[in-house]
Amino acid sequence: MKAMFLPVAGSMVLMVVTGCATAPHVYESELDRAPMTSRIEPQDIRRTVEKMAESLISDAGVLEATGGKRPILDIEPMQNRSQLIVDMKSITDSVRTRLIRSRLFRFVDRSTAGADIAIMDEQAQLGLTDPRKAVKPGRQSAAEMYLTGSLTDMVTHAGRVTDHYYKFTMILKDLRTGEIVWTDEQEIRKVALRPML
Amino acid sequence: MKTISFMSLALSAALLAGCHTTAGTSVVLNHDNGGSVVYEGNTRLHNEMSVTAVTYDKVPAGLNRVNIQLTSLVQRELHLQYRIAWFNAEGMEIDGDARTYRPLTLQGLDSVTVTGVANHPSAVTSRLRVREMRAADHVH
Repeated sequence: MKAMFLPVAGSMVLMVVTGCATAPHVYESELDRAPMTSRIEPQDIRRTVEKMAESLISDAGVLEATGGKRPILDIEPMQNRSQLIVDMKSITDSVRTRLIRSRLFRFVDRSTAGADIAIMDEQAQLGLTDPRKAVKPGRQSAAEMYLTGSLTDMVTHAGRVTDHYYKFTMILKDLRTGEIVWTDEQEIRKVALRPML
Repeated sequence: MKTISFMSLALSAALLAGCHTTAGTSVVLNHDNGGSVVYEGNTRLHNEMSVTAVTYDKVPAGLNRVNIQLTSLVQRELHLQYRIAWFNAEGMEIDGDARTYRPLTLQGLDSVTVTGVANHPSAVTSRLRVREMRAADHVH
């Protein structure tokens, strides 16, 4: 009896322990939390997007350049000149979302131009759409300005300390004049201290 | 005896960690009448920082903007986060998810002005919320 009890009890304990170990504790986290690493994290992107959108909305030069009208913008994805892998298009997309929702800017999107043409071709050629209602090419709005920028970084090591410096720069360029009508920067500096042991 | 001391120390630490609060200081600002009300949800933060000035204006595009001066009441450096949310005339928050907490370091006895621009023309009131950086670490 004793000989059987030990292996059975042992395997039960093992099952309980391994069962607990494989089930991760998952919870939905707040979007803005304290930094976990010295790399660029979601909360850094969020605050960069918010700052850039606020700065662009507040700037008098943009309104002057368009004579007080709601300007029509396009996006040129930001350049990643850092050592990190960051989805730069996602950042400009988020800035665009904020600007459109402010109702102060209008946007066109070159990246979906191929899809626009395909839909118009289908409307014209498949015979499903009323020809009077079919959208014809050549009527789209033209972008007056475009938004772009870059991300750069600088890393410094000193003993156990690693200092990461990141800089987001965004510009708004007027296509008609070639002038940069707005620009702003967001600097982020993070320090990582390696443990003694 | 040593064991009892160790256990009481561990118990105190656990209790302290359990008492960790995410509450902060809120400043509710009304751009129509220029009023502001400060709510203190964290006693320690209340003793360490105060709201010393509030000004309102509009950006050229016509959106409301608020500038709030925060002053440290202590010698040491304070690591805080702040968020400015905007509300429409019915008191509903506009694009709440899009408003982020931004880091704010207040040097000893220094003042810093934070600025927020409304995210929509219908935004008429705003609320500044300040919390300690450690509150953002709150893990369930």
